[in-house]
Amino acid sequence: MNTRKNILSFPIFLLVFLIEESIFNQIHLPFGGFSLFLIFSLSWCALSTPETGAIAGFGAGLLMDLAPHSQGSVGQWTLVLIITGFGIAYLRYGDDSLRNSPLSLVVMVSLGVVVSLVLYVFAGALLGMDLGSSFQLMKTIIGNGVWTLAVTPFLLPIVSRLHGLIFETRELK
Amino acid sequence: MRQRGDNRSRLLFVILIVTSLFFITLDLRGVQVMSGIRSGAQTVLAPFEKGASAVFSPVGNFFSDVVHLGRTRAKLKRLEEQNASLRKTLIDRKSADAQIKQLKSTLDLAGTAGYTIVNAKVISQGNSTSFSETVTIDVGANKHLTRDMTVICGEGLVGVVKVVYPNTSLVLLASDPSFRIGVRIAKSQQIGILSGQGTDHAVLQLLDSQSSVNIGDALVARGSQGDKPFVPGVPVGSVSSISHSSGAISEIAEVKYYVNMNALGVVAVVVKAPLADPRDILVPKPPQPVPTVTVFVTPTPTPTPTPSK
Repeated sequence: MNTRKNILSFPIFLLVFLIEESIFNQIHLPFGGFSLFLIFSLSWCALSTPETGAIAGFGAGLLMDLAPHSQGSVGQWTLVLIITGFGIAYLRYGDDSLRNSPLSLVVMVSLGVVVSLVLYVFAGALLGMDLGSSFQLMKTIIGNGVWTLAVTPFLLPIVSRLHGLIFETRELK
Repeated sequence: MRQRGDNRSRLLFVILIVTSLFFITLDLRGVQVMSGIRSGAQTVLAPFEKGASAVFSPVGNFFSDVVHLGRTRAKLKRLEEQNASLRKTLIDRKSADAQIKQLKSTLDLAGTAGYTIVNAKVISQGNSTSFSETVTIDVGANKHLTRDMTVICGEGLVGVVKVVYPNTSLVLLASDPSFRIGVRIAKSQQIGILSGQGTDHAVLQLLDSQSSVNIGDALVARGSQGDKPFVPGVPVGSVSSISHSSGAISEIAEVKYYVNMNALGVVAVVVKAPLADPRDILVPKPPQPVPTVTVFVTPTPTPTPTPSK
């Protein structure tokens, strides 16, 4: 684990979070749109070791919990993103066939987004959150997954470059 | 195949999970720190959100609108229809308000004089090609109207019922060139004949060559025998100018009607006159001049400095 590098990555997460909250939240996309920050975080985790993935998930989840629009309990997104961040990094890190295929990365990030949303909804249901109709939930989750599939290929090179700048791509080799 | 994670990473994973569960517990227990942190984050984010909103709000709905173009059009059409309907309602309401105002003033006038009236609504104006000043009202024989009944509104005389139909009546307006009415100058016994001119002014000819008239004098209907076609006491107009013709036997004056014949909405037909002549009680009071406030300011004398000892 490299604490210094994890700390260095925090301003990048914060910047993406600010972009998401201030700019992307102004744009109303059909079928729920996508979360830039969630895609960025899971892509980052996918490029990292499981340890870094869990820490990045923790930080990203905490930021999402503190977002003004977040309706859940503080810690709910944190819990979800620790699990998915660690999970996606765990799956990607050990399998070289997955690591060398950008397409699989895109699919994995999209699945990661869907799983994160499902886990969030599940956790919310357990914690007594008012979640709305199941149709609306399904529409939002599937819509997010499809949007993520469309957006991630454009976002991935940027994430990869930023990740490389911080971690000097040593973890990818 | 790489080593996917050792015990250390699993331990870290568990610690982070426990930490997040700890946060959830604290939040569910209502610990102020958590809400304070969220409120602090909102405070930090608010300026960014405001700035971005000013820039991006015009394009915020662009993508959604593109996808829902058909739905947006239908919504736009529906809103346009609603808008048109609301506009019509508003116009109707304004018209109704104006009619209520006219009706109220008419009832006030009739009530003050003790006239028994039948209210009516003007449903059409006379055609200009007929060269006569008439209106059609929505009551007729069904309300026991008969020919030669006086028609009034809140301001005064409108005209006289000329033709009665089963459900409507034709009213000859006081402004019609063929209209003649015997009038009396209020607060005096001078009488004359008022003739319509097809405009908002009429001509008054005094009957007595010794009588004189002044600008601003109010004229009221003198009344007819059997109160037909005119009931007494109805305000007609006021003198607006006087012409002193050397060849005329008596004075001739131009009179402006109290009633605007082009804006008739609700009128009343007098079906029964009061037993006593109301005389001048219906004459509108002249407007009171508004006193002008004059303020005198006296400048304070400039103090002169006294030499110090």
